[in-house]
Amino acid sequence: MSGFIILLVIIAILIIGFISIYNRLIRYIEAVRNNQKQIDIQLDRRYKVFQSLIEVVKKYMDYEQTTLKDVVKLRGQAEAAKESGNEQGRIDAENAISKIASGINVVFEQYPNLKASQNALQLQEEIVNTENKLAFAKQAYNDSIERYNAEKKSFIQSFIVSLARGKLDQSFVYWNIPEETIKTQENYTVKM
Amino acid sequence: MSETHNFSAGVADWREQLRLNSRRTFWVIVLFVLLYTAVGLLIDLFIHASGYTQAFAVSGYQNYSVAQPNLEEIFISLVTFKIIPWATLIMLGVALISLWITYSLYNQIMLLGTKYEEVTAESTSLEAKQLYNVIEEMKVAAGMKYMPKVFIINANYMNAFASGYSEKSAMVAITRGLMTKLTRAELQAVMAHELSHIRHGDIRLTLTASVLSNLMLMMIDILFYNMIFSGRRRNEGGRNTNILFLIIVIARFVLPIISILLLLYLSRTREYMADAGCVELQRDNGPLISALMKIHQDHQTHAAQYAREYGSTAHENVRRESYIYDPVLMGIENSRGPSDWFSTHPNLEKRLEALGYKDKIV
Repeated sequence: MSGFIILLVIIAILIIGFISIYNRLIRYIEAVRNNQKQIDIQLDRRYKVFQSLIEVVKKYMDYEQTTLKDVVKLRGQAEAAKESGNEQGRIDAENAISKIASGINVVFEQYPNLKASQNALQLQEEIVNTENKLAFAKQAYNDSIERYNAEKKSFIQSFIVSLARGKLDQSFVYWNIPEETIKTQENYTVKM
Repeated sequence: MSETHNFSAGVADWREQLRLNSRRTFWVIVLFVLLYTAVGLLIDLFIHASGYTQAFAVSGYQNYSVAQPNLEEIFISLVTFKIIPWATLIMLGVALISLWITYSLYNQIMLLGTKYEEVTAESTSLEAKQLYNVIEEMKVAAGMKYMPKVFIINANYMNAFASGYSEKSAMVAITRGLMTKLTRAELQAVMAHELSHIRHGDIRLTLTASVLSNLMLMMIDILFYNMIFSGRRRNEGGRNTNILFLIIVIARFVLPIISILLLLYLSRTREYMADAGCVELQRDNGPLISALMKIHQDHQTHAAQYAREYGSTAHENVRRESYIYDPVLMGIENSRGPSDWFSTHPNLEKRLEALGYKDKIV
Protein backbone atom coordinates (compact mmCIF):
# COMPACT_ATOMS: atom_id res chain seq x y z
CA MET A 1 0.00 0.00 0.00
CA SER A 2 2.68 2.48 1.01
CA GLY A 3 4.79 1.35 -1.93
CA PHE A 4 1.91 2.22 -4.23
CA ILE A 5 1.63 5.69 -2.69
CA ILE A 6 5.36 6.28 -3.14
CA LEU A 7 5.05 5.23 -6.78
CA LEU A 8 2.15 7.65 -7.26
CA VAL A 9 4.13 10.48 -5.69
CA ILE A 10 7.10 9.79 -7.96
CA ILE A 11 4.88 9.76 -11.03
CA ALA A 12 3.23 13.00 -9.95
CA ILE A 13 6.63 14.66 -9.46
CA LEU A 14 7.75 13.47 -12.90
CA ILE A 15 4.61 14.82 -14.56
CA ILE A 16 4.89 18.18 -12.80
CA GLY A 17 8.57 18.37 -13.78
CA PHE A 18 7.74 17.56 -17.39
CA ILE A 19 4.98 20.16 -17.57
CA SER A 20 7.09 22.90 -16.01
CA ILE A 21 10.01 22.26 -18.37
CA TYR A 22 7.67 22.15 -21.36
CA ASN A 23 5.99 25.39 -20.37
CA ARG A 24 9.27 27.13 -19.69
CA LEU A 25 10.60 26.19 -23.13
CA ILE A 26 7.42 27.49 -24.75
CA ARG A 27 7.77 30.74 -22.78
CA TYR A 28 11.36 31.14 -23.92
CA ILE A 29 10.45 30.49 -27.55
CA GLU A 30 7.74 33.13 -27.46
CA ALA A 31 10.11 35.56 -25.75
CA VAL A 32 12.58 35.08 -28.61
CA ARG A 33 9.85 35.73 -31.17
CA ASN A 34 8.67 38.83 -29.36
CA ASN A 35 12.21 40.17 -29.05
CA GLN A 36 12.74 39.57 -32.75
CA LYS A 37 9.74 41.74 -33.51
CA GLN A 38 11.03 44.31 -31.04
CA ILE A 39 13.94 44.90 -33.42
CA ASP A 40 11.43 45.64 -36.20
CA ILE A 41 9.56 47.99 -33.89
CA GLN A 42 12.75 49.89 -33.12
CA LEU A 43 13.73 50.03 -36.79
CA ASP A 44 10.30 51.43 -37.57
CA ARG A 45 10.61 53.92 -34.74
CA ARG A 46 14.02 55.05 -35.96
CA TYR A 47 12.68 55.60 -39.46
CA LYS A 48 9.77 57.68 -38.21
CA VAL A 49 11.74 59.70 -35.70
CA PHE A 50 14.48 60.54 -38.17
CA GLN A 51 11.96 61.40 -40.88
CA SER A 52 10.18 63.84 -38.61
CA LEU A 53 13.48 65.30 -37.43
CA ILE A 54 14.52 65.81 -41.03
CA GLU A 55 11.17 67.45 -41.80
CA VAL A 56 11.55 69.88 -38.94
CA VAL A 57 15.10 70.76 -39.89
CA LYS A 58 14.18 71.15 -43.56
CA LYS A 59 11.29 73.47 -42.85
CA TYR A 60 13.44 75.43 -40.49
CA MET A 61 16.24 75.71 -43.03
CA ASP A 62 13.90 76.60 -45.91
CA TYR A 63 12.34 79.26 -43.83
CA GLU A 64 15.69 80.56 -42.70
CA GLN A 65 17.04 80.71 -46.23
CA THR A 66 14.11 82.62 -47.70
CA THR A 67 13.88 84.90 -44.68
CA LEU A 68 17.60 85.54 -44.82
CA LYS A 69 17.24 86.62 -48.45
CA ASP A 70 14.24 88.79 -47.56
CA VAL A 71 16.05 90.37 -44.65
CA VAL A 72 19.12 91.12 -46.77
CA LYS A 73 16.93 92.68 -49.47
CA LEU A 74 14.96 94.79 -46.98
CA ARG A 75 18.16 95.80 -45.25
CA GLY A 76 19.45 97.02 -48.63
CA GLN A 77 16.24 98.96 -49.25
CA ALA A 78 16.43 100.52 -45.83
CA GLU A 79 20.06 101.55 -46.39
CA ALA A 80 19.21 103.00 -49.80
CA ALA A 81 16.20 104.89 -48.42
CA LYS A 82 18.32 106.28 -45.62
CA GLU A 83 20.94 107.56 -48.06
CA SER A 84 18.37 109.14 -50.36
CA GLY A 85 16.60 110.71 -47.35
CA ASN A 86 13.42 108.71 -47.95
CA GLU A 87 12.46 108.33 -44.27
CA GLN A 88 9.07 106.67 -44.93
CA GLY A 89 10.69 104.05 -47.20
CA ARG A 90 13.26 103.27 -44.50
CA ILE A 91 10.57 102.87 -41.80
CA ASP A 92 8.56 100.60 -44.08
CA ALA A 93 11.58 98.39 -44.70
CA GLU A 94 12.50 98.21 -41.01
CA ASN A 95 8.88 97.33 -40.13
CA ALA A 96 8.92 94.56 -42.69
CA ILE A 97 12.06 93.15 -41.03
CA SER A 98 10.35 93.24 -37.62
CA LYS A 99 7.45 91.34 -39.07
CA ILE A 100 9.79 88.64 -40.32
CA ALA A 101 11.39 88.41 -36.88
CA SER A 102 8.04 87.81 -35.22
CA GLY A 103 7.32 85.25 -37.93
CA ILE A 104 10.49 83.41 -36.97
CA ASN A 105 9.26 83.31 -33.41
CA VAL A 106 6.03 81.72 -34.60
CA VAL A 107 8.04 79.02 -36.35
CA PHE A 108 10.09 78.46 -33.22
CA GLU A 109 6.93 78.07 -31.21
CA GLN A 110 5.73 75.46 -33.65
CA TYR A 111 8.93 73.51 -33.11
CA PRO A 112 9.81 73.95 -29.47
CA ASN A 113 12.79 71.68 -29.97
CA LEU A 114 14.41 74.41 -32.02
CA LYS A 115 13.58 77.19 -29.63
CA ALA A 116 16.25 77.06 -26.98
CA SER A 117 19.98 77.06 -27.41
CA GLN A 118 19.65 73.47 -26.25
CA ASN A 119 18.15 72.43 -29.57
CA ALA A 120 21.36 70.75 -30.69
CA LEU A 121 21.51 68.82 -27.40
CA GLN A 122 17.89 67.77 -27.71
CA LEU A 123 18.48 66.58 -31.24
CA GLN A 124 21.56 64.66 -30.16
CA GLU A 125 19.67 63.07 -27.25
CA GLU A 126 16.88 61.98 -29.59
CA ILE A 127 19.33 60.38 -32.02
CA VAL A 128 21.38 58.64 -29.30
CA ASN A 129 18.20 57.36 -27.66
CA THR A 130 16.87 55.98 -30.92
CA GLU A 131 20.11 54.24 -31.87
CA ASN A 132 20.57 52.85 -28.35
CA LYS A 133 17.09 51.40 -28.28
CA LEU A 134 17.73 49.63 -31.56
CA ALA A 135 21.04 48.23 -30.33
CA PHE A 136 19.54 47.12 -27.01
CA ALA A 137 16.63 45.47 -28.80
CA LYS A 138 19.13 43.41 -30.80
CA GLN A 139 20.99 42.57 -27.60
CA ALA A 140 17.77 41.49 -25.87
CA TYR A 141 16.96 39.30 -28.87
CA ASN A 142 20.32 37.54 -28.66
CA ASP A 143 20.02 37.18 -24.89
CA SER A 144 16.67 35.46 -25.21
CA ILE A 145 18.10 33.08 -27.82
CA GLU A 146 20.97 32.31 -25.44
CA ARG A 147 18.54 31.56 -22.62
CA TYR A 148 16.41 29.33 -24.83
CA ASN A 149 19.33 27.44 -26.35
CA ALA A 150 20.96 26.83 -22.98
CA GLU A 151 17.69 25.51 -21.60
CA LYS A 152 16.96 23.36 -24.63
CA LYS A 153 20.39 21.73 -24.68
CA SER A 154 20.56 21.12 -20.90
CA PHE A 155 20.65 17.58 -19.63
CA ILE A 156 17.11 16.59 -18.72
CA GLN A 157 15.49 19.24 -20.89
CA SER A 158 17.13 17.88 -24.05
CA PHE A 159 15.39 14.58 -23.39
CA ILE A 160 11.99 16.25 -23.15
CA VAL A 161 12.72 18.28 -26.29
CA SER A 162 13.38 15.03 -28.14
CA LEU A 163 9.88 13.88 -27.16
CA ALA A 164 8.18 16.94 -28.69
CA ARG A 165 10.55 18.17 -31.36
CA GLY A 166 7.89 19.87 -33.44
CA LYS A 167 6.93 22.28 -30.71
CA LEU A 168 10.02 22.62 -28.55
CA ASP A 169 12.91 22.38 -31.00
CA GLN A 170 13.21 25.70 -32.78
CA SER A 171 16.40 27.05 -34.21
CA PHE A 172 16.92 30.78 -34.07
CA VAL A 173 19.78 32.63 -35.66
CA TYR A 174 21.62 35.15 -33.48
CA TRP A 175 21.41 38.68 -34.81
CA ASN A 176 24.78 39.31 -36.42
CA ILE A 177 26.40 41.15 -39.28
CA PRO A 178 27.83 39.39 -42.32
CA GLU A 179 31.49 38.39 -42.43
CA GLU A 180 32.48 41.01 -45.06
CA THR A 181 30.90 43.81 -43.11
CA ILE A 182 32.79 42.75 -40.00
CA LYS A 183 36.04 42.86 -42.01
CA THR A 184 35.47 46.35 -43.31
CA GLN A 185 34.26 47.62 -39.96
CA GLU A 186 37.27 46.16 -38.18
CA ASN A 187 39.61 47.92 -40.56
CA TYR A 188 37.72 51.17 -40.24
CA THR A 189 39.67 54.14 -39.01
CA VAL A 190 38.52 57.72 -38.72
CA LYS A 191 39.80 59.79 -41.62
CA MET A 192 39.85 63.52 -41.14
CA MET B 1 41.01 60.10 -4.58
CA SER B 2 40.47 62.66 -7.30
CA GLU B 3 41.21 60.31 -10.18
CA THR B 4 37.63 59.26 -10.80
CA HIS B 5 38.25 58.17 -14.34
CA ASN B 6 41.72 56.86 -13.85
CA PHE B 7 41.02 53.15 -13.70
CA SER B 8 41.27 50.19 -15.96
CA ALA B 9 38.13 48.11 -15.76
CA GLY B 10 38.68 44.42 -16.26
CA VAL B 11 36.04 42.05 -17.50
CA ALA B 12 33.08 41.34 -15.24
CA ASP B 13 31.72 37.85 -15.51
CA TRP B 14 28.12 38.76 -14.87
CA ARG B 15 26.82 35.31 -15.71
CA GLU B 16 28.93 33.76 -12.97
CA GLN B 17 28.00 36.50 -10.51
CA LEU B 18 24.31 35.99 -11.19
CA ARG B 19 24.55 32.23 -10.77
CA LEU B 20 26.63 32.42 -7.60
CA ASN B 21 24.34 34.90 -5.91
CA SER B 22 21.08 33.29 -6.89
CA ARG B 23 22.39 30.08 -5.32
CA ARG B 24 23.17 32.02 -2.14
CA THR B 25 19.69 33.53 -2.15
CA PHE B 26 18.12 30.12 -2.54
CA TRP B 27 19.82 28.81 0.59
CA VAL B 28 19.00 31.89 2.59
CA ILE B 29 15.33 31.54 1.69
CA VAL B 30 15.31 27.81 2.47
CA LEU B 31 16.86 28.57 5.86
CA PHE B 32 14.26 31.23 6.53
CA VAL B 33 11.32 29.00 5.73
CA LEU B 34 12.82 26.23 7.87
CA LEU B 35 13.37 28.58 10.78
CA TYR B 36 9.85 29.95 10.49
CA THR B 37 8.30 26.48 10.46
CA ALA B 38 10.56 25.44 13.31
CA VAL B 39 9.26 28.27 15.46
CA GLY B 40 5.70 27.27 14.58
CA LEU B 41 6.39 23.67 15.54
CA LEU B 42 8.03 24.81 18.75
CA ILE B 43 4.81 26.59 19.70
CA ASP B 44 2.80 23.49 18.83
CA LEU B 45 5.14 21.34 20.89
CA PHE B 46 4.82 23.72 23.80
CA ILE B 47 1.02 23.70 23.64
CA HIS B 48 0.79 19.95 23.37
CA ALA B 49 3.48 19.18 25.92
CA SER B 50 1.86 21.37 28.56
CA GLY B 51 -1.61 20.16 27.47
CA TYR B 52 -0.67 16.55 28.00
CA THR B 53 0.89 17.16 31.34
CA GLN B 54 -2.26 18.92 32.50
CA ALA B 55 -4.51 16.14 31.26
CA PHE B 56 -2.43 13.52 32.99
CA ALA B 57 -2.07 15.51 36.14
CA VAL B 58 -5.84 15.44 36.49
CA SER B 59 -6.16 11.73 35.76
CA GLY B 60 -3.87 10.87 38.60
CA TYR B 61 -0.28 11.35 39.56
CA GLN B 62 0.72 7.72 40.01
CA ASN B 63 0.55 6.55 36.37
CA TYR B 64 1.81 9.95 35.20
CA SER B 65 5.29 8.90 34.25
CA VAL B 66 4.06 5.85 32.36
CA ALA B 67 1.57 7.61 30.11
CA GLN B 68 3.50 10.79 29.42
CA PRO B 69 4.46 10.92 25.74
CA ASN B 70 7.91 12.28 25.23
CA LEU B 71 8.80 15.23 23.02
CA GLU B 72 9.95 13.11 20.09
CA GLU B 73 6.60 11.37 19.90
CA ILE B 74 4.68 14.64 19.90
CA PHE B 75 7.07 16.06 17.32
CA ILE B 76 6.68 13.06 15.01
CA SER B 77 2.90 13.09 15.22
CA LEU B 78 2.92 16.85 14.48
CA VAL B 79 5.15 16.53 11.44
CA THR B 80 3.16 13.58 10.06
CA PHE B 81 -0.09 15.52 10.66
CA LYS B 82 -1.41 12.95 13.14
CA ILE B 83 -1.90 15.94 15.37
CA ILE B 84 -2.73 18.97 13.26
CA PRO B 85 -0.03 21.61 13.94
CA TRP B 86 -2.49 24.48 14.33
CA ALA B 87 0.03 27.03 15.55
CA THR B 88 2.27 26.44 12.54
CA LEU B 89 -0.65 26.70 10.12
CA ILE B 90 -1.99 29.85 11.78
CA MET B 91 1.46 31.40 11.67
CA LEU B 92 1.71 30.72 7.94
CA GLY B 93 -1.72 32.32 7.46
CA VAL B 94 -0.71 35.40 9.45
CA ALA B 95 2.46 35.64 7.34
CA LEU B 96 0.47 35.59 4.09
CA ILE B 97 -1.95 38.29 5.26
CA SER B 98 0.76 40.60 6.56
CA LEU B 99 2.76 40.14 3.36
CA TRP B 100 -0.26 41.10 1.30
CA ILE B 101 -0.81 44.26 3.36
CA THR B 102 2.87 45.20 3.16
CA TYR B 103 3.01 44.76 -0.60
CA SER B 104 -0.05 46.90 -1.23
CA LEU B 105 1.24 49.79 0.88
CA TYR B 106 4.91 49.63 0.04
CA ASN B 107 5.23 52.13 -2.83
CA GLN B 108 3.63 54.92 -0.81
CA ILE B 109 5.81 54.10 2.17
CA MET B 110 8.97 54.30 0.09
CA LEU B 111 8.46 57.92 -0.95
CA LEU B 112 7.40 59.09 2.53
CA GLY B 113 8.98 62.32 3.66
CA THR B 114 10.61 63.29 0.37
CA LYS B 115 9.77 66.04 -2.08
CA TYR B 116 9.32 64.27 -5.37
CA GLU B 117 7.94 64.76 -8.87
CA GLU B 118 6.99 62.20 -11.46
CA VAL B 119 8.68 62.02 -14.85
CA THR B 120 6.70 60.81 -17.86
CA ALA B 121 7.29 60.50 -21.59
CA GLU B 122 5.73 63.96 -21.96
CA SER B 123 8.23 65.72 -19.72
CA THR B 124 9.80 68.54 -21.71
CA SER B 125 13.02 69.45 -19.93
CA LEU B 126 16.12 67.92 -21.47
CA GLU B 127 17.26 66.36 -18.18
CA ALA B 128 13.95 64.67 -17.44
CA LYS B 129 13.69 63.52 -21.04
CA GLN B 130 17.17 62.03 -20.89
CA LEU B 131 16.39 60.21 -17.65
CA TYR B 132 13.23 58.76 -19.12
CA ASN B 133 15.03 57.75 -22.33
CA VAL B 134 17.83 56.07 -20.43
CA ILE B 135 15.36 54.00 -18.42
CA GLU B 136 13.39 53.12 -21.52
CA GLU B 137 16.56 51.91 -23.23
CA MET B 138 17.35 49.65 -20.28
CA LYS B 139 13.79 48.40 -20.29
CA VAL B 140 14.22 47.41 -23.94
CA ALA B 141 17.53 45.70 -23.16
CA ALA B 142 15.96 43.77 -20.28
CA GLY B 143 12.96 42.79 -22.38
CA MET B 144 10.66 44.02 -19.62
CA LYS B 145 6.98 44.30 -20.39
CA TYR B 146 6.17 47.37 -18.32
CA MET B 147 7.80 50.72 -17.92
CA PRO B 148 8.26 51.51 -14.22
CA LYS B 149 7.07 54.82 -12.81
CA VAL B 150 9.91 57.30 -12.59
CA PHE B 151 10.32 59.84 -9.81
CA ILE B 152 12.85 62.56 -9.20
CA ILE B 153 13.50 63.34 -5.54
CA ASN B 154 14.53 66.93 -4.94
CA ALA B 155 17.64 66.39 -2.87
CA ASN B 156 21.32 67.19 -3.32
CA TYR B 157 22.77 63.87 -2.22
CA MET B 158 23.42 61.26 -4.89
CA ASN B 159 21.23 58.19 -4.51
CA ALA B 160 18.56 56.11 -6.21
CA PHE B 161 16.26 53.23 -5.34
CA ALA B 162 13.67 50.91 -6.83
CA SER B 163 10.49 49.57 -5.32
CA GLY B 164 7.46 47.57 -6.26
CA TYR B 165 5.87 44.20 -5.83
CA SER B 166 6.07 43.21 -9.49
CA GLU B 167 7.22 44.61 -12.83
CA LYS B 168 3.78 46.06 -13.32
CA SER B 169 3.66 48.10 -10.13
CA ALA B 170 7.34 48.97 -10.05
CA MET B 171 8.87 52.40 -9.59
CA VAL B 172 12.34 53.88 -9.62
CA ALA B 173 13.35 57.09 -7.90
CA ILE B 174 16.50 59.13 -8.28
CA THR B 175 17.71 62.22 -6.50
CA ARG B 176 18.32 65.39 -8.44
CA GLY B 177 21.90 65.41 -7.22
CA LEU B 178 22.60 62.06 -8.85
CA MET B 179 20.85 63.08 -12.04
CA THR B 180 22.89 66.24 -12.57
CA LYS B 181 26.31 64.94 -11.55
CA LEU B 182 26.48 61.79 -13.69
CA THR B 183 27.12 61.41 -17.40
CA ARG B 184 24.52 59.75 -19.58
CA ALA B 185 26.28 56.36 -19.49
CA GLU B 186 26.71 56.49 -15.71
CA LEU B 187 23.09 57.46 -15.25
CA GLN B 188 22.18 54.51 -17.43
CA ALA B 189 24.31 52.20 -15.28
CA VAL B 190 22.56 53.34 -12.10
CA MET B 191 19.16 52.88 -13.69
CA ALA B 192 20.18 49.44 -15.01
CA HIS B 193 21.12 48.51 -11.44
CA GLU B 194 17.68 49.60 -10.23
CA LEU B 195 15.83 47.87 -13.07
CA SER B 196 17.80 44.72 -12.25
CA HIS B 197 16.45 44.90 -8.69
CA ILE B 198 12.97 45.00 -10.23
CA ARG B 199 13.41 42.17 -12.70
CA HIS B 200 15.17 39.95 -10.14
CA GLY B 201 12.19 40.46 -7.82
CA ASP B 202 14.47 41.74 -5.07
CA ILE B 203 11.98 44.05 -3.43
CA ARG B 204 9.48 41.25 -3.04
CA LEU B 205 12.16 38.90 -1.78
CA THR B 206 13.73 41.13 0.86
CA LEU B 207 10.31 42.29 2.03
CA THR B 208 9.10 38.73 2.40
CA ALA B 209 12.19 37.78 4.34
CA SER B 210 11.96 40.75 6.68
CA VAL B 211 8.22 40.27 7.32
CA LEU B 212 8.83 36.59 8.08
CA SER B 213 11.69 37.38 10.42
CA ASN B 214 9.68 40.03 12.27
CA LEU B 215 6.75 37.66 12.74
CA MET B 216 9.06 34.89 13.84
CA LEU B 217 10.70 37.07 16.48
CA MET B 218 7.32 38.25 17.69
CA MET B 219 6.12 34.69 18.12
CA ILE B 220 9.19 33.54 19.96
CA ASP B 221 8.86 36.56 22.25
CA ILE B 222 5.25 35.71 23.06
CA LEU B 223 6.23 32.13 23.71
CA PHE B 224 9.11 33.18 25.92
CA TYR B 225 7.07 35.50 28.13
CA ASN B 226 4.23 33.01 28.28
CA MET B 227 6.72 30.47 29.54
CA ILE B 228 8.16 32.77 32.16
CA PHE B 229 4.84 33.92 33.56
CA SER B 230 3.39 30.45 33.66
CA GLY B 231 6.61 29.30 35.30
CA ARG B 232 4.91 27.85 38.39
CA ARG B 233 3.48 25.02 36.39
CA ARG B 234 6.84 24.11 35.00
CA ASN B 235 7.73 22.07 38.03
CA GLU B 236 4.77 19.81 37.39
CA GLY B 237 5.77 19.22 33.79
CA GLY B 238 9.01 17.47 34.59
CA ARG B 239 11.72 16.80 32.04
CA ASN B 240 9.66 17.58 28.91
CA THR B 241 8.96 21.20 29.65
CA ASN B 242 12.40 21.72 31.05
CA ILE B 243 13.93 20.82 27.71
CA LEU B 244 11.38 22.98 25.90
CA PHE B 245 12.10 25.85 28.27
CA LEU B 246 15.78 25.60 27.48
CA ILE B 247 15.14 25.52 23.71
CA ILE B 248 12.85 28.54 23.89
CA VAL B 249 15.29 30.57 25.99
CA ILE B 250 18.12 29.83 23.58
CA ALA B 251 15.93 30.58 20.56
CA ARG B 252 14.77 33.84 22.14
CA PHE B 253 18.35 35.13 22.25
CA VAL B 254 19.89 33.46 19.21
CA LEU B 255 17.12 33.83 16.62
CA PRO B 256 17.21 37.65 16.44
CA ILE B 257 20.92 37.57 15.67
CA ILE B 258 20.59 34.77 13.13
CA SER B 259 17.69 36.38 11.35
CA ILE B 260 19.33 39.80 11.14
CA LEU B 261 22.54 38.24 9.79
CA LEU B 262 20.54 36.29 7.23
CA LEU B 263 18.56 39.37 6.19
CA LEU B 264 21.68 41.44 5.71
CA TYR B 265 23.44 38.64 3.87
CA LEU B 266 20.43 38.37 1.58
CA SER B 267 20.44 42.10 0.97
CA ARG B 268 24.14 42.07 0.09
CA THR B 269 23.75 39.14 -2.32
CA ARG B 270 20.94 40.97 -4.08
CA GLU B 271 23.15 44.05 -4.42
CA TYR B 272 25.85 41.96 -6.11
CA MET B 273 23.20 40.50 -8.39
CA ALA B 274 21.85 43.91 -9.33
CA ASP B 275 25.38 45.06 -10.13
CA ALA B 276 25.89 41.98 -12.30
CA GLY B 277 22.48 42.56 -13.91
CA CYS B 278 23.54 46.10 -14.75
CA VAL B 279 26.61 44.79 -16.58
CA GLU B 280 24.38 42.25 -18.32
CA LEU B 281 22.16 45.02 -19.67
CA GLN B 282 24.87 47.52 -20.53
CA ARG B 283 27.53 44.99 -21.60
CA ASP B 284 30.00 47.35 -20.01
CA ASN B 285 31.20 47.60 -16.43
CA GLY B 286 32.99 50.93 -16.79
CA PRO B 287 29.98 53.21 -16.27
CA LEU B 288 28.77 51.51 -13.08
CA ILE B 289 32.28 51.49 -11.62
CA SER B 290 32.79 55.17 -12.27
CA ALA B 291 29.27 56.01 -11.10
CA LEU B 292 29.79 54.16 -7.81
CA MET B 293 33.13 55.86 -7.28
CA LYS B 294 31.65 59.26 -8.07
CA ILE B 295 28.79 58.69 -5.65
CA HIS B 296 31.19 57.52 -2.98
CA GLN B 297 33.56 60.44 -3.41
CA ASP B 298 30.71 62.88 -3.51
CA HIS B 299 29.39 61.48 -0.24
CA GLN B 300 32.82 61.90 1.31
CA THR B 301 33.43 65.45 0.19
CA HIS B 302 29.97 66.55 1.29
CA ALA B 303 29.77 64.21 4.28
CA ALA B 304 28.61 66.78 6.80
CA GLN B 305 26.10 68.44 4.48
CA TYR B 306 24.59 65.14 3.34
CA ALA B 307 24.44 63.76 6.86
CA ARG B 308 22.34 66.81 7.71
CA GLU B 309 20.13 66.37 4.65
CA TYR B 310 19.61 62.64 5.15
CA GLY B 311 18.89 63.41 8.79
CA SER B 312 16.33 66.10 8.02
CA THR B 313 14.43 63.89 5.55
CA ALA B 314 11.73 62.05 7.41
CA HIS B 315 11.46 58.25 7.25
CA GLU B 316 14.89 57.88 5.72
CA ASN B 317 15.35 54.46 7.33
CA VAL B 318 12.70 52.81 5.14
CA ARG B 319 14.77 53.60 2.06
CA ARG B 320 18.18 52.81 3.48
CA GLU B 321 18.23 49.20 2.39
CA SER B 322 16.97 49.98 -1.10
CA TYR B 323 19.41 52.76 -1.95
CA ILE B 324 22.08 51.99 -4.50
CA TYR B 325 24.59 53.48 -2.07
CA ASP B 326 24.06 53.02 1.64
CA PRO B 327 24.63 56.42 3.29
CA VAL B 328 25.66 54.67 6.50
CA LEU B 329 28.70 53.36 4.61
CA MET B 330 30.06 56.89 4.38
CA GLY B 331 32.30 56.45 7.39
CA ILE B 332 33.22 52.80 7.55
CA GLU B 333 33.60 51.80 3.94
CA ASN B 334 37.13 50.46 4.19
CA SER B 335 36.73 48.10 7.10
CA ARG B 336 36.69 44.46 6.22
CA GLY B 337 35.63 41.61 8.43
CA PRO B 338 32.79 41.39 10.93
CA SER B 339 31.53 44.94 10.44
CA ASP B 340 30.64 43.93 6.90
CA TRP B 341 28.35 41.21 8.25
CA PHE B 342 26.14 43.92 9.70
CA SER B 343 25.64 46.02 6.61
CA THR B 344 22.94 45.96 3.97
CA HIS B 345 25.40 46.63 1.16
CA PRO B 346 28.74 45.00 0.43
CA ASN B 347 31.52 47.52 0.91
CA LEU B 348 32.56 49.48 -2.12
CA GLU B 349 35.84 47.67 -2.52
CA LYS B 350 34.17 44.26 -2.75
CA ARG B 351 31.52 45.58 -5.09
CA LEU B 352 34.13 47.02 -7.44
CA GLU B 353 36.10 43.80 -7.21
CA ALA B 354 33.04 41.80 -8.24
CA LEU B 355 32.56 44.22 -11.11
CA GLY B 356 36.04 43.38 -12.34
CA TYR B 357 37.89 46.40 -11.03
CA LYS B 358 41.28 45.43 -9.66
CA ASP B 359 43.08 48.60 -8.60
CA LYS B 360 42.74 49.54 -4.96
CA ILE B 361 42.92 53.27 -4.75
CA VAL B 362 39.55 53.61 -3.03
